[in-house]
This record gives sequence, C-alpha cells and structure tokens, in this order.
Amino acid sequence: MKRVLNILLIISIILLIFTDCKKSPHYRALIITGQNSTDWVASTPVLKQILEKTGIFECSILISPTPGGEWDKFRPAWDKYNLVVLNYNGEKWPETIRNGFISYVNNGGGVLVYHSASIAFPDWKEYNEICGISGWDNRSEKDGPYIYFRGNRMVLDSSAGPAGWHGEPREFEVRIRNTEHPVTRGLPVRWMHAKDLLYARLRGPAKNMEVLATAYCDTTGGGTGRDEPVMMAITYGKGRVFHTTLGFPGDGTSPALQCAGFITTLQRGAEWAASGKVTQPVPRDFPTVSGVVLRTEMKPITLKEEIENLAKYEIGMSTRYYTGLQDRIKKAAGDPDKLLEIEKMMVKLLENDKATIESKKLVLRELSWMGTDYCIPTIKKLQENAELKDEVDFALERLGVK
Amino acid sequence: MSMKSSRRKFLKKAASAVTGTLVFPYIIPSSSLGLGGETPPSEKILMGVIGTGSQGMSNMRSFMRLKDQVRFVALCDVDAKRLEAAKAVVDKVNRSNDCRIYGDFREFLEKEKLDAVLIAIPDHWHGIIYTAAANKKLDVYGEKPICRTINDGKVIVQAVKKNGIIWQTGSWQRSEANFHRGAELVINGRIGKVKYIEVGLPDGVRGIGTPPVQEVPEGLDWEMWLGPALKVPYRGVCHWNWRWILDYSGGQLTDWAGHHVDIANWGTGLEYTGPVEIEGTGFYPYDGIYNAPVEYDITCKFANGIIMRIANASRLPKGMGTVWYGDLGWIHVDRGNRISASDPKILEETIGENEIHLYKSTDHFQNFIDCVRTRKEAIAPIEPAYRAISTALLGEIAMTTGQKIYWDPEKEEIIGNPNASRLLGRPYRKPWTLPEV
Repeated sequence: MKRVLNILLIISIILLIFTDCKKSPHYRALIITGQNSTDWVASTPVLKQILEKTGIFECSILISPTPGGEWDKFRPAWDKYNLVVLNYNGEKWPETIRNGFISYVNNGGGVLVYHSASIAFPDWKEYNEICGISGWDNRSEKDGPYIYFRGNRMVLDSSAGPAGWHGEPREFEVRIRNTEHPVTRGLPVRWMHAKDLLYARLRGPAKNMEVLATAYCDTTGGGTGRDEPVMMAITYGKGRVFHTTLGFPGDGTSPALQCAGFITTLQRGAEWAASGKVTQPVPRDFPTVSGVVLRTEMKPITLKEEIENLAKYEIGMSTRYYTGLQDRIKKAAGDPDKLLEIEKMMVKLLENDKATIESKKLVLRELSWMGTDYCIPTIKKLQENAELKDEVDFALERLGVK
Repeated sequence: MSMKSSRRKFLKKAASAVTGTLVFPYIIPSSSLGLGGETPPSEKILMGVIGTGSQGMSNMRSFMRLKDQVRFVALCDVDAKRLEAAKAVVDKVNRSNDCRIYGDFREFLEKEKLDAVLIAIPDHWHGIIYTAAANKKLDVYGEKPICRTINDGKVIVQAVKKNGIIWQTGSWQRSEANFHRGAELVINGRIGKVKYIEVGLPDGVRGIGTPPVQEVPEGLDWEMWLGPALKVPYRGVCHWNWRWILDYSGGQLTDWAGHHVDIANWGTGLEYTGPVEIEGTGFYPYDGIYNAPVEYDITCKFANGIIMRIANASRLPKGMGTVWYGDLGWIHVDRGNRISASDPKILEETIGENEIHLYKSTDHFQNFIDCVRTRKEAIAPIEPAYRAISTALLGEIAMTTGQKIYWDPEKEEIIGNPNASRLLGRPYRKPWTLPEV
C-alpha cells in the first residue's frame, strides 16, 4: 500500500513538473537600469514581475555602475537576449556598449523603451532613432519634429521649441490609434489609465515609427491641448522597438504600474518586440472608458474562486466577479459540458445559505438565458424567498417554466 | 363610429380639400393646412405627451413651432415636477390653464380623446405604452429605439399595423437633406453595387461607480418608472442616464441604431428585412451601476450578401455616421449636414425621373402632422424602425452569448440556438404584461 502511495506521489510530482513546464519561458529579457531620473530601484522589480507574469519571459536585471563608476565591468551579453528593456537614463555608455546595443537591434533584437528611458543620450543619434521621439536634455527642433495627433492624423510639427513637458500626475484616457497592430489588436480603443505623468511635447526623428496610442494633454498648467503619443512601435534595422511613455513609478506603488491597461500593453509590447507577434489574449479586466482598473494582484482565478467571491457580492462592491462569470460563459459558448460545469457552480451559489441575496439575483439573471433543466428545481425552491421573487419569476419565465 | 374617428375623417377631408389629389411624393405646405390666419381650435390636431423629459419636451417644442396646427391638451409623466414644468409651457402657448396632467398613462389613455400622442419614455416601457396607445387608435410620434427587445418590437409593429394608426419614429435624420441625398444616391447605384456598410455610433460613457441608495425625489413615482423592469432601489440614476443600464436600454448601441442603421438600411433597400448572420464583441464596464457596453463591434451579413459593421465611432476609420461602400466608391453621411464621397462628382449627380425617389420630407414634425391629416404613411414608419433596432438587438445577443447568431428575417426567429432565443425577450415584472393587440 505504501508503495502504491509512493508511486502515486511520484506520478503527481512528475505531472506537476510537466504542467509547470508547459508555461516555460520562450524569451529571455534583460532589464538595463542603474541610473535614472525616476526611481529605478522601485520600478525595476515591478517591470520584471509584469513581464514574467506572462509566462513567456525570463528576466535578468543588469545594473549599471553609479555615475563615474567603473564601466569596464558593465558588459551586457546582448546575444543571449530576445528583449532588452531600457529603464535607464544617465551617464552615456562607453562606445563598445553603444556599438553592441546598436548591432543587437540591427540584427533583430527587441527593445522595450520604458517611460523615462527615452530621455537618455540626447546626442546619440542611433539611440534617438530607436526611441523615435523623446524630450528634455536640451532637445529641440534640431532633434526632429514634434509628434502629436490632430483628429485622426499624425502631425509632424517642425516648429521651434524645447522638447518634453509634463504636468501633475492624473488619470487620463488612452486612445488606441492603430487597432490592427499586434500590440493593440482587440483592445478597447478608449480606456482610462490610472494616475500617471503624461509626457507631452515629445519630438525626435520618428523614423519608421508608428504611434499606437495617444492621450489628450489638457491645457492645465501649460499643457499642450494636443493628443500626445504614449505608445509607439518602431522598426530599426531588423529590430523591433516598443516604446511606452506610460508608467511613472513613484516609489514603486504608483497606480500607473498597477493599471491593467499599462500592464497588458507592456506585456503585449514586450512580446511583439521580442517576436513580432502577440499570443497573449486580451485579459478580461482590461479597462474601458468606463473607468480605471487597478490590478493589485495579477493571479488568474478559478471558477470556484470566482463563485466564492461572487457569493459575497453586495451592491456597491466591485462587479468584477460577475463580469468574470459572464466572460466565462461567453468563452464556453458551444461547449455544453463546460457550460454545465459553470451552471452547477452557479446552482451551488443559489443553494448556499451564506451567499448574499444580491449575488443570487445576478446568478438568476444569467441562468435565465443560459440555464438548462439542471438549475430549474433549485430556482423553483427559491420561489418561497420573498426577496428573490421578481428575479425568480424573471428566470423561470425566460426558461419557459410554467 | 366613435367621435374620434369621425373627427379624423373631418381632418382628412380638410386636408384633401386643400391639397387635391395626393401624389407621392408630397409635401404639404403648412400654410395650406393652416388655412391662413388663426386656425379654429376644432381644426387643430389635438395632441398629448407621455414622457415630458428632455426628449419629450424638445419634441413638443418642435410641434409647437408649427403654429396653429397642433394643440397640446394633456400630459403624462411619472415625475410630477417635470409634469408641472411641461404644463406651464403648454398653458403659456395655449393661453389657458386647462392642459390636463396625469401620472399614470392608463388613466391618460382612458380619459383623453386625442388625435395623436407624442411618446418619449425609457425603452423598457416602449412595449407596453406604444401598444396601448396604438390600441386606442391614437396616431403616435414615438421615440427610437422603438423597443428594448425584439419580442416587444414584434408586438408594437403588429399593434400599429392592425390599428391602422399613423406612426412616425423619432428618427428625424430621414427628414434632413444630407441623409436623404446620400441614401438616394446609393439606392440609385451611384457608388455601384453596395458591398459593405459601416455604421459609427457614439462611444460609451464613463462610469459613476455605484451611488448609494437614496430617497426618491419628491414627485417621482419610482415604482411606476421601473414598471416592468426588475425592482431596484433608487440610486439617483433615472432621467436620461437610464440609457447606460441594460435593464432599460442597450446603451449607445441601441440608443443610436435607430438613426444611423436606419439610414444605412434606407439607402440599400434593407428597410423591411434583417440580417441573417450576426457576430459581435463588446467591452462592458468592469464595475459600477452602468453596465451597457462602452465599446461594441458588430458585423452582420444580409441575405443579399451586404456586410454591415456597427461599432462605436472610435473603432471606425470614418467615425460617426453611415458609410456605404460600393464597387464604384463610397458615400459618408453624418449629422451636421455632412455628406462626402470618394469622388465629389458623385454628389453632383442628378436623379432621373424614372429612378428611385425616396420619400422626401424637410420637416419631421410637419410630416407627421401632414400624415395625421392625409392618412398617408409617414417618412419613418414602424417597420423600418423595428428592423433597424432589431439588427442592433441581435448584435447585443451575439455579444451577450459570445456566439454567432443566425437569424431568419422572414419568420423573425433565431435559428438553432434556444439559449440565444430566450434573449429575444425580457420577462416583465408582475403585474405588467404586454397588452393584447
């Protein structure tokens, strides 16, 4: 008997390893940081976590010397990586490093330019072409036109003036400008981004650059009143660059980094830069214009957990477990077994004395159209519950029960 | 014969007398109906209003603009404050204080002897009140979308037809020159054979979270406002903003389909049919009381092969409005008297005598009044309105179920999908039921 148990244990361990292997990373990413005008100590682990949550990235972190430090020891192994994430703006890299980086990109390496990284190296031509647009550090008309949107068109504005501006952090709406690009395909075209610094008055060579998304910079405090680019896709040599201006880190707990829209576009942009395609589905909590969605924890939840959380629902609480259940039902469309599995859990909620009345009301609305004979006896039993009477009548009528 | 129908005959006689033989298309100048000078009250169209909110008041003022042709004599609303405000407007115009007011439409319909009624109420009430008004043989100017569900729509259409009333949908774009012109150019083949249509409707609105339960404002009959919809406590969302909540509306999609989808159908002769296949995805708010989709992207196919995409404007290259794409070019129409084409020359084309001339009206409200007198069909009759909204409602079903929907536009049934078929209707909360036709 003990032997059998041992074998079972071994089998389950093997299974566990295999199921884990299924999600083994496809791409290796290198986050370069160490000097930055924003708090790189805070942002770097968050970037690593966001990328690794995809299950397709394995991230290493390379920290540069402090200003005036010994650059000899700073030797990125470019060839080992599919993606270089730039979270650096500081001292200019030595020439060998610069050349190494350019040949990495030229040869098809992916780059993710994150937030303040584009500010780096104002006098390094190739770097500015890789970033497409940038600001600050004495950049001006000599570095390229201002890029922004007027209506549905991208404007290249060569008028003179400094580059780079931001106001106070605030929530703002992001507007997708290319709905067919792999990074943005399938996303809501307008969504609320959590409190962040919106970069404006960016300018640069903008060669082979496509603006994927913009955000309106209102005129408060000297803002531009323009639709400013916030996400760009750039090709450089054989390499692909995803540049996001979003994600002001603050002390690392900034809502910008918790925004489901920021997280998702960073993940998708990273995959595209590394591979040219995006295999990640649009997460169901992607924000819309209706409001900001913060993701304080990013773990996907099971049906059982969803139902357990839904059972606690009271009006005024988040409806995310209800919309989550609705999404599950949509995804199971055409699969009666899967739908029945969901239905059984919904019925369990109805039978659960501890589940709230409000959660039962929501479940009854869904069952009214997707329920089978399985749910009917339970719903009939609820007829005695005065608080649920209208919803029970609603469900039974739709289910065709006399 | 009831007093009312003889009054109607009188009105019709009066109209024929001034217009002679009625030929299609016809526009009756208001002056010829007004008979010059002050019209005796007995020859004015007696109208009532159910729903004196922002849309109802706006429509009422538009009718009042047609001096001497219409007299409003009775108003009905579940909000006493709005009712009082509306009565003040009417009494001022009528230079009297005898405009009657009601809080319950049943009493209004029972007691009032009217020629026509203007109805502008939330969508979840349309089935019951439109049908009841038609059953009273009142001519109706009714707001779009004409129904919240396809099952409601079928009954309303039947009620309008069976009772032989004049119906005008509030899809006033039909009476605007640019929309008429665009549709007429398209239906006469000026962009060739239409293959694809894009309909851009507004993006959804920002959420407000879930406001706390609060005291129902004085004068508002909340129970009656909810009517057939599921009972919920009052949270301050009622007038206007009901349209972001699925119990009462389908959001921007259904609010606007009655305009731009209707125009799309008008230009392609799809007014009396529906799509055969419908697919769609929607983005729904993640939290809060507003739950209508804030983005939607629906693609449907008609039996003649035309593909129609209906989406919130930000998802479409040309944004708001209707764009017909034919094999020779495209035409885009939108509000603000906008019309544009792939080649500006298309817009200069004339329509020959033997070609199709779409019904012409230059004033949506005048057209209704004219038709009440002449008993001719109005420019925005019931069935095209029903077909336009049912396309959007089928899109809503596709988005809800996550499935491609197959629709039989003749039998008006979803094919082979019992679960989706249940979404064709919304059960009414007791004691409300749809009136028998």
